[in-house]
Amino acid sequence: MWVPILGLVIGLLIGLVLNIPIPGIYAKYLSIAVLAGLDSAFGGVKSIFDEKFDAGILLTGFFTNTLLAALLAYLGDQLGVDLYLAAVFAFGVRLFQNLAMIRRELLARWSRKRRLAKAKVKGS
Amino acid sequence: MRLKNWQLPLALVLFMTGILLMSVLQVLHNQDETPAQEKNHNLVAMIKRQEKELNNLEKSIDTRRVSLDKYQKSLSSGQLETENLQYQLDQLKMLSGVSDVEGPGITVILDDNKKGYEVAKSKNPEANAQDYLIHDKHLLYIVYELRVGGAEAISINKQRITASSDIRCIGTMIQVNTKGLAPPYVINAIGDSSRMASVLENTDSQYNILKMAGYPVQIEKHDKVVIGSYKGSYQFSYAQPKEEQ
Repeated sequence: MWVPILGLVIGLLIGLVLNIPIPGIYAKYLSIAVLAGLDSAFGGVKSIFDEKFDAGILLTGFFTNTLLAALLAYLGDQLGVDLYLAAVFAFGVRLFQNLAMIRRELLARWSRKRRLAKAKVKGS
Repeated sequence: MRLKNWQLPLALVLFMTGILLMSVLQVLHNQDETPAQEKNHNLVAMIKRQEKELNNLEKSIDTRRVSLDKYQKSLSSGQLETENLQYQLDQLKMLSGVSDVEGPGITVILDDNKKGYEVAKSKNPEANAQDYLIHDKHLLYIVYELRVGGAEAISINKQRITASSDIRCIGTMIQVNTKGLAPPYVINAIGDSSRMASVLENTDSQYNILKMAGYPVQIEKHDKVVIGSYKGSYQFSYAQPKEEQ
């Protein structure tokens, strides 16, 4: 449970320390990549609850999604089409769906545990 | 702790996302500095650099003057005629403000009427802050009143007032001898203390007008006032001595 959170914190710290210089015009594409990364992370968490977790799918999904999202946004800009909006929409919707799933699952688990505990108290 | 098979991959993904997120945040944060702000920063840096340069030049003028003094004194030593010339030179130097002087005199301290502005604002929110500041014209009039009172040397916030000194408004500051000054303004004057004070306290005088208007102003009489020299240099591009016929 704590290992992924530790990973996130270390990542944030390293990002803060490295201070990678990125030209302002590419910041937009990088933002899309961040969105894709978050989407992958939440997708991974959801798949854990669904008991369908697959490391290969998660990792390949993360890399291809971030890269492709940034590339497509760039391509869209070159073509004069706001393709990045599509990416924001797609990732955004999925992010919220996954979040909702995770929330529901956690809630269900919690209430089940409580019911079990109550039953135990009554039974004893 | 037993690692479940999902923990490491997820940690890796979150790790990368964290790096990306931080980089983007930093870039966007740095972008907050708009071109106008950047220009401002550059200008401020430029002004500071030039002020430093100015200070250095003033220091070098000072040292040159000291060495020039030495040469003149060594030249004139022992010769009556040149001693006389030296005396005249010293007098002229004092007059032109290029030498430090001391003597009895007064100190006039002027400050913006902040209290008055606050009171006026509480009564009328449209009160103009400009009406409660010390302006360049106030300083000019007071300098002239001091001259009327027989002041032999005057300085404002350590800036010696010479025959060619300018006193003018540059936005939020008053500039004297091309140096920006900020309130409170401390005017030192060497001369007959009571005479200068009486001119200043005259009913029609600028000092009295400021005092009546509620500005925090005051006059202090001192037995010894030290007034530093003018740090700039005199340059004559147009005027030259008229040749004797």
